[in-house]
Amino acid sequence: MLYRETGDFKSSYATDQQTFPIRSERYLFWGAMVIAFLVVPFFINDYWEKSVLVPLLVWSMAALGLNILTGYCGQVSLGTGGFMAVGAYACYKLMTAFPDLNIFFVVILSGGVTAFVGMLFGLPSLRIKGFYLAVATLAAQFFLVWLFNKVPWFYNYSASGQITAPERTIFGIAVTGASAPPWATYLFCLTLVFLFAWMARNLTRGTLGRSWMAIRDMDIAAEIIGVQPLKAKISAFAVSSFYIGVAGALYFSVWLGAVEPTEAFGINVSFLVLFMVIIGGLGSILGSFLGAAFLTLMPVLLKNVMVGGLGWPTDLAAHFEIMLVGGLIVFFLIVEPHGLAQLWRLVKEKLRLWPFPY
Amino acid sequence: MNQHIDPGTLRADDGIERGGMLLHVDNISLSFGGVKAITDVSFDVKKGEIRAIIGPNGAGKTSMLNVINGFYHPQEGTITFRGEKRRRMRPHRAASQGIARTFQNIALFKGMTTLDNIMTGRMTLMKSSMLSQAMWWGPAHREEIAHRETVEKIIDFLEIEHIRKTPVGRLPYGLQKRVELGRALAADPALLLLDEPMAGMNLEEKEDMSRFVLDVNQQFGTTIALIEHDMGVVMDLSDRVVVLDYGRKIGDGTPDEVRNNQAVIDAYLGVSHE
Repeated sequence: MLYRETGDFKSSYATDQQTFPIRSERYLFWGAMVIAFLVVPFFINDYWEKSVLVPLLVWSMAALGLNILTGYCGQVSLGTGGFMAVGAYACYKLMTAFPDLNIFFVVILSGGVTAFVGMLFGLPSLRIKGFYLAVATLAAQFFLVWLFNKVPWFYNYSASGQITAPERTIFGIAVTGASAPPWATYLFCLTLVFLFAWMARNLTRGTLGRSWMAIRDMDIAAEIIGVQPLKAKISAFAVSSFYIGVAGALYFSVWLGAVEPTEAFGINVSFLVLFMVIIGGLGSILGSFLGAAFLTLMPVLLKNVMVGGLGWPTDLAAHFEIMLVGGLIVFFLIVEPHGLAQLWRLVKEKLRLWPFPY
Repeated sequence: MNQHIDPGTLRADDGIERGGMLLHVDNISLSFGGVKAITDVSFDVKKGEIRAIIGPNGAGKTSMLNVINGFYHPQEGTITFRGEKRRRMRPHRAASQGIARTFQNIALFKGMTTLDNIMTGRMTLMKSSMLSQAMWWGPAHREEIAHRETVEKIIDFLEIEHIRKTPVGRLPYGLQKRVELGRALAADPALLLLDEPMAGMNLEEKEDMSRFVLDVNQQFGTTIALIEHDMGVVMDLSDRVVVLDYGRKIGDGTPDEVRNNQAVIDAYLGVSHE
């Protein structure tokens, strides 16, 4: 009753093409956005910022990026951690080299640098596919992390080998550095994620997105009807790496403030983002968010329940949490191999007929 | 933008009159290692006709289509398409020159909807930049809607309105074949290659498909080269037939000529070697 198509007529192709074709869906979306932009900033505190909302936004951005490459274009990548490191280090170098440059542009430029690196490491995709490509991107992962450890220029010759984000402001309000207020960092990340999610949606529903999906579904047929494999694959690598680079820049500058490459950008990061994309749903923008939410919020929730609610010792809770999250991943993949986004799609199909299914 | 369903208009405007030479295949030989798939085959396709390529299994028919649209590169011979001679080219170049095709085993994009599949067929005609696509509102959106109008006309023509938003992986075989024809038509082809459009269909579906093929040819003036095993269909639809056997051309002419050609009869029915 709440969710129905009946009576919601479309009389132009423009309205037929909109992202949320059903009215109640649109209301739900804009309602959520109003809460996220106008209500949450007033109630956010340090804990919610650093352990829940900013991580959620940063991982959503990374998952969006990987979903463009793996979900839409069908190219498996295990180099996400390495590309996030490129974004983070590009951000650090730009912040320190151009202290007057606005952090917004620094983050965008970091994405651009990562896009370029991603294109280079995407070149093997023209010759190799599937698992073999995954192994080739694994090389990017290890090479890039090694590079940022070994070449002192990247961390400005600091003694610890760490990089630390200096304070930068937008409209006079700090968004990076230790004294940045929680609402400012949250809004900064949210704005970027909103903007780029919207662009990802536009790209994937347009010509470029169709050329990616054509390559994913049947590359030979795609080439014969006029898709240029070189252009499609390299653009997917570039766009995907751009998103992952922006995620890496935010991860370093806004969320953590200081990072050490081996720990922060290891292979486990690549796997984490890949799991987000798989659990959320390959080839779905919503899926990227659902997957990121599942893998960032579930551990926080479990920890709160076990330590806060049941009073278990922290180490026991930590181990139990890993087991539970692992179990849940298996459970969800068995119940719905196409991810949480597909689950949501099925719910919507059921809701269309509710309460009178036939 | 062309507003009527006329996949012929954009690219057919090449100065070649109906009945003039559209495609000329000269002395093509193709081999894979030691296997000779095609040996010294020549034939032509005239503008506006339906040209059938027939032959027993393994005769080299599909290889011939693959040569024409640039997927295989022949060792010998040349292809002249619309007066332009070529030896090697990438398939997407052939596509942007106006050669579209369907496949023997359906090669649709299974995860995409019918609409998206057919829209993909217009890939070579859509020009908006990546940045304007990311912004959506503006040139990219206008272009999208203009092409959507043409695609909707193709959808109407093929009578597949009801499956517009269905992922093609879920569709039955006959409908998938039809969507694939739609995707090829969307490219506004000057030459349409159909690889066994009626394979695996029942009588009713074959009749539908024959009707679509004839309509495409007559209403839009699209030149068609088709491979088909159903002799009834071939003889009824085509203007001229070329017959291949073991990679060689053994017959060429109108359906009646081919039917009475002794070499063709031998190839199909077998001949006793005494």
